[in-house]
Amino acid sequence: MPAEVKYQRHIEEKLRESFTLWGYEEVRSPTIEYLETLSTDLGSELAQSMFKFQDFDGRMLALRPEMTTPVARMITTRMFSTPEPIRLFYISNVFRYSRSYAERGREFWQAGVELIGCDGDRADGEVISLLASSLRELGLNQLRLDLGHAGLFKKMQKSARLDSEKEQIFRTLIGRRDRVELEKFMSTNDFPSELKKLVLDLCEIRKLREAASALDRRSSFRKAKRFARALSAVADVLSDYHLEDEVYFDFSLTGRIEYYTGIVFEASVPGFGFSIGAGGRYDDLLWKLSEIRTPAVGFAIEIEKCLQALHSQGSRLSTIPDDDVRVLVNSISNERAVETASLLRKSGVVAITEVTDRTRKKLIEYGKLARMNYIVVVESDRKKPLVIYDVQSGTKRRLPTRGFLQEIRRSRAE
Amino acid sequence: MKSKIRIAVPNKGRLKQPTIDILMRSGIKILKEERVYDSETSNPRFQVSFMRAFDIPLYIQYGAADLGFTGHDIIVERDADVLEILDVGFGRCNLVVAVPKNSQIKTIEDITDVPRVATEYPNTSRKFFTSKGKQVEILAVRGATELAPILGLAEIIVDVSTTGETLAKNNLRQIAVVLESSCRFVCNKIAYRTFEREVRELIDTLKDGGE
Repeated sequence: MPAEVKYQRHIEEKLRESFTLWGYEEVRSPTIEYLETLSTDLGSELAQSMFKFQDFDGRMLALRPEMTTPVARMITTRMFSTPEPIRLFYISNVFRYSRSYAERGREFWQAGVELIGCDGDRADGEVISLLASSLRELGLNQLRLDLGHAGLFKKMQKSARLDSEKEQIFRTLIGRRDRVELEKFMSTNDFPSELKKLVLDLCEIRKLREAASALDRRSSFRKAKRFARALSAVADVLSDYHLEDEVYFDFSLTGRIEYYTGIVFEASVPGFGFSIGAGGRYDDLLWKLSEIRTPAVGFAIEIEKCLQALHSQGSRLSTIPDDDVRVLVNSISNERAVETASLLRKSGVVAITEVTDRTRKKLIEYGKLARMNYIVVVESDRKKPLVIYDVQSGTKRRLPTRGFLQEIRRSRAE
Repeated sequence: MKSKIRIAVPNKGRLKQPTIDILMRSGIKILKEERVYDSETSNPRFQVSFMRAFDIPLYIQYGAADLGFTGHDIIVERDADVLEILDVGFGRCNLVVAVPKNSQIKTIEDITDVPRVATEYPNTSRKFFTSKGKQVEILAVRGATELAPILGLAEIIVDVSTTGETLAKNNLRQIAVVLESSCRFVCNKIAYRTFEREVRELIDTLKDGGE
């Protein structure tokens, strides 16, 4: 529907503007790619949700279910000589089957960025704050970000020596925030007591620096101190962006997508039940696609979710500024109507020529319904001025074409 | 001022009264129970909404309600992406596969052709039979599932059973358990963040049976 498309376009334009101002450049990628490429390190849940089909030679193809892998593939095949770091963004549709009764759609729009070729905390900080600032620019209030660490989680799983089935249960229990079951699970699976305490501590902690000091205190597994340093470094860089108080630590956020190796994060607003954007660091994905070791970090914003979240905060279609002037041009001489409409369009006015033979009364009715500002009647005689109906006020005047254009220009400048 | 936290409570059935009771023991007394959808509570931070237990996962996933009580079987059937935070202990039951007592089918293994299965749990049933490598035709019904084999609508049913009494009364025999269930305290993922302190306090009292 036009009104919805307009709203969505408005959001896309705002996001495009934010991303561009931060130096990111837009890319597009094919909707269809080889299944093998798209599935790289995706994790079973998303991999199963892909629309799959065969190419003429029998190779399996799929519709992209997300954009990070297509962008990474593009870099490894087409952009390997571009100086790093590379900053790219996309606004694209992605496709997923969903068995869930909640998501009936199969096509979703995502806007996201990828910062490729650097692994420092400053890169992480830039991407997190770009997510925050672009969502705020859309007009979302009370934005909150939660940050976990996929690398830390994977390391802890490893040091608990779980098999893959138990790893899955452990991940689910952490994700479900079921403390009772989690304690039981860790006891029956012989977690070392220090590690057990650390897991329980981390589940409760909401401040990045507290998480860092818990890791530092309970060095219950190898490299715990390294993660402690990593988390406080992220906290440092977020405070440079004045974001430290809005970013919370959330151990349960481990990233459902397999390719994440470092920080993972998610944006939400209170009162809206879904996250509206998420991302993380994926340092191994490009290696797996091409054997070129290139670290990267990025995020994707779900555009439909943004629309719904904005709606839940009271934002309406009608609040989008609309400075278009719309004019319906009518004349007995079609040649004159076309000529006048083209003059108006050259001045940036939306001009619609009347293509039916309806009565003057019907024309005015239509003008009202179709949100016209003016209806202009052009005489066949070039010397005669235009007859201008102001649709809102219902008044009628005569003005030469040049005078009418000047008037529109003046009203716009106000 | 912070907005109120909305708790979804089953409006009828076996989960309704125990939910009202455990909330009351946790210091949340529902002020108007009869014939209302919405009610204030004795605790000014919380309000409750009554709705079908089957719809509760939906309301919570969308954040239309922040917290709620509903059966694990229903959450699985709805495939809802919600936080199942706590097993509150009551409402224990099994989702079982049952056949008429005189049926040739004694175990799942005995299923050979494509029998019809009547159930209120089409998604869970489909997944169960697929995982056992059995092809069946699922017929989704709304209640009184036991009637289906009596009238010859289906050869098999998948339904909730607490004591097995209803099955026995209708000449049915349980041949497999699909899922063990009980009432769960669930929460919307984002609401957990927004109201973490209140939710955790409530979990602590619920954990002790609301004492």
